[in-house]
Amino acid sequence: MQDKSLKIGIFIIGLFVVMAIFAPIISPYDPSAIDQDGLLMPPSFKHFLGTDTLGRDLFSRIVFGSRISLGIGLVAVGIATLVGLMLGATAGFYGRRVDTVIMRFVDIMLCFPTFYLILAVAAILGPSVFNIMIIVGLTSWMGVARLVRGEILSLKEREFIQAERSIGASNLRIIVRHLIPNAIGPVLVSATLGIGGAILLESGLSFLGLGVQPPTPSWGNILIESKSTLGVAWWITIFPGFAILITILGFNLISEGLKKKMGN
Amino acid sequence: MIKFIMRRLFGLVPMLFGITLISFMVIKLAPGKPVMLQYSLNPKISLEEIKRLEKIEGFDKPLYAQYLNWLSNISRFNFGRSIADGRFVTQKIAERLPVTLTINILSLFLIFLIALPWGIRSALRQGSLFDKISTLVTFLLFAAPTFWLALLLMQLFCIQLGWLPISGITSLDFEHLNLWQKFLDLGRHLFLPVLVSALAGFAGICRYMRSNMIEALRQPYIYTARAKGLPENRIIYKHALRNALLPIITILGLSLPGLLGGSIIFESIFAIPGIGRLFYEAAMMRDMNLIMAEIVLVAVLTMLGNLIADVLYAYVDPRIRYKK
Amino acid sequence: MENLLEIKNLKVDFFVNKKLVPVIDGVSFCINKDEVLVLAGESGSGKTLSALSITKILPHNAIITSGSIKFSGSDLLVMDEKQLVDIRGREIAYIFQEPTSYLNPVFTIGDQITEVIMLHQNKNKESAIEEAKELLSLVKIKEPKRVLFDYPHQLSGGMNQRVFLAMALACRPRLLIADEPTTALDVTIEAQILQLLLELKKTMGFSLLFITHNLSIAKRIANRICIMHKGKIVEEGSVEKIFDAPEHFHTRELINAYEKIGKL
Repeated sequence: MQDKSLKIGIFIIGLFVVMAIFAPIISPYDPSAIDQDGLLMPPSFKHFLGTDTLGRDLFSRIVFGSRISLGIGLVAVGIATLVGLMLGATAGFYGRRVDTVIMRFVDIMLCFPTFYLILAVAAILGPSVFNIMIIVGLTSWMGVARLVRGEILSLKEREFIQAERSIGASNLRIIVRHLIPNAIGPVLVSATLGIGGAILLESGLSFLGLGVQPPTPSWGNILIESKSTLGVAWWITIFPGFAILITILGFNLISEGLKKKMGN
Repeated sequence: MIKFIMRRLFGLVPMLFGITLISFMVIKLAPGKPVMLQYSLNPKISLEEIKRLEKIEGFDKPLYAQYLNWLSNISRFNFGRSIADGRFVTQKIAERLPVTLTINILSLFLIFLIALPWGIRSALRQGSLFDKISTLVTFLLFAAPTFWLALLLMQLFCIQLGWLPISGITSLDFEHLNLWQKFLDLGRHLFLPVLVSALAGFAGICRYMRSNMIEALRQPYIYTARAKGLPENRIIYKHALRNALLPIITILGLSLPGLLGGSIIFESIFAIPGIGRLFYEAAMMRDMNLIMAEIVLVAVLTMLGNLIADVLYAYVDPRIRYKK
Repeated sequence: MENLLEIKNLKVDFFVNKKLVPVIDGVSFCINKDEVLVLAGESGSGKTLSALSITKILPHNAIITSGSIKFSGSDLLVMDEKQLVDIRGREIAYIFQEPTSYLNPVFTIGDQITEVIMLHQNKNKESAIEEAKELLSLVKIKEPKRVLFDYPHQLSGGMNQRVFLAMALACRPRLLIADEPTTALDVTIEAQILQLLLELKKTMGFSLLFITHNLSIAKRIANRICIMHKGKIVEEGSVEKIFDAPEHFHTRELINAYEKIGKL
């Protein structure tokens, strides 16, 4: 079972990554090109996922949207992991006061429902792909910090670290060369899960109009139209949502597979 | 126990301080002048007018002074007025809080009602078809965006089947209905929002309950219970279940930010006048006082939720209640 | 002498990765009325599993593949769950290695003792509580009234083992199975518990199957000793025979280990 979930996950994500990289080749139309005669066309040979209210090809928009979603997911999680890794490692390694202050900060950050914070900042800084990456990243590092701190606390007592310390290695060396590489496994598991979470946040934000702005297609903002076309154009609701679902499922499967693999 | 509660209450002080500080900093992130930001929608405003407004709001003072001033104001529940209609933001929030809380409490109730037995059953039949199907369902629910589920359910129940109203919390003729009809009307309007909000939290709690139960059934005291000659049912539903249920209380507190965060999305989809939709409108209009007040409010609610969960947990778990 | 328990050719397999792995490979031994039989062997030799097999309270991935276990004439292995439930705790009782983790952390001592009394003796709550108090005095707990309302984590390991003993003896069983009951305790507490066990055996008249890896305990309490190694009984005999003329090399190993500890 564990092997299967990892394989399926990698297959799904691989497919979407290929889609994102080769978007211009794969998509039959320009994602912003308007087909004058084809507003709200159901799926057909010409537009095989149909068209939206402006007559744009839905398939092409979803293909290009994968670039945005995957990009934001990866960068945001990159930021979150980096911040979490640094703060968690510092807290775990130095302990005492430093630990108390950092972990309190984590507790406080966890009190804020992420979506409120993100929405507020997005509203103030203005919505753009770049801002969303940073905002999502800076509001989702707490889990990583806790994880890394816990790992480091338990690693710190192990013999090889004690040995390293007895021969006079510097703190930074111990952290960077020994503690972080040893804690990286669980971080990887939570990061893959985090990418799914970040994509979910981005899609919600874009759906509310405070994320990626049209005409740039993102899976979240394609779905804005589905509110007004409910009961008229089912394809606009079904396909972008499905893309989100499958992608997040893929990342979750990879995370699950990695977790089981490391457990063995 | 009392000592424990006192210590936790005392710990709230730095938390509150941190919450207000972060909320304040979030707002001050804004590039340019705050007054400009708020009144940028109004092209007729003059430079002098801006200066005057800045003085009134204290924006000409250094940041720390502004923060302390704001802190002293909000400690008296003075969060200022909304720029949308000039009313006190506390008043606006107070009007809308009950709806959001009602929906969240109902959905929390629904989640526990279904997820706990479901998780237990999965654990008891680990590896069975039922367990496999529920693993699949929870995995899909984990991955599905809430607003998409909401759209699909709306499509099904409101449009295809026409059973439920599509938005709002009451019908137009609500005033003329009798009590029973009013109740029914509210129920029909709240059904989908509660369901959608519950779906989002269901998967996590179901999985958590399952793994708790499996863990409890592996504990040494289960062997004791069997060695005593207890029937299987008593072993499962008394000895294992009590242990597996205790940590669920903590989850109650932890699921609060998710629920409140989710409120923003489903309240704007279903056009429900709660604090989630209020916040969304405030964000769209850059209604700073309202944004700040709501951020502080939801953070404090979450903090209190965690505190209550912690204290409850300490109360029900004898290992914490009677520390040696 | 009359046989109380007679195990013949017991075989138990473990399910590991969908394969059956034998862990107990044809074990036979018997316990006479009023006897103390010590089952000795290193950890992993199958002692505990043999003991759990007697009333079929094995882990779920263990299966008894063949053999018979006759308890005062009737075969426990052919009994159904309903019949077994009546024997467990009433006729055959257990005490285990780490009393604190084998007691349920969320129920009081009183709850856990009265539970077994009410189950097997059809007594109401009040008389069960009275009975529990007497049992606690029987195992020489000083303040039985107070201890009834304590939780396991509030008591020391030695105290919990006394509680466990009280619970096991509540229904005056004919056979007590003690699985390394003193391994997790201090040496002084160990001596106290062993003495208590022998005293109670004298007054209450049960047979004792005592499992240990420590031959010095075996020497102190046993009438007969079975040496177990890799799922088989390799040697059986009186205390004198085992210590003075050990036949199997593994018995000699165990004796050597015991003598080394004795010299320290």
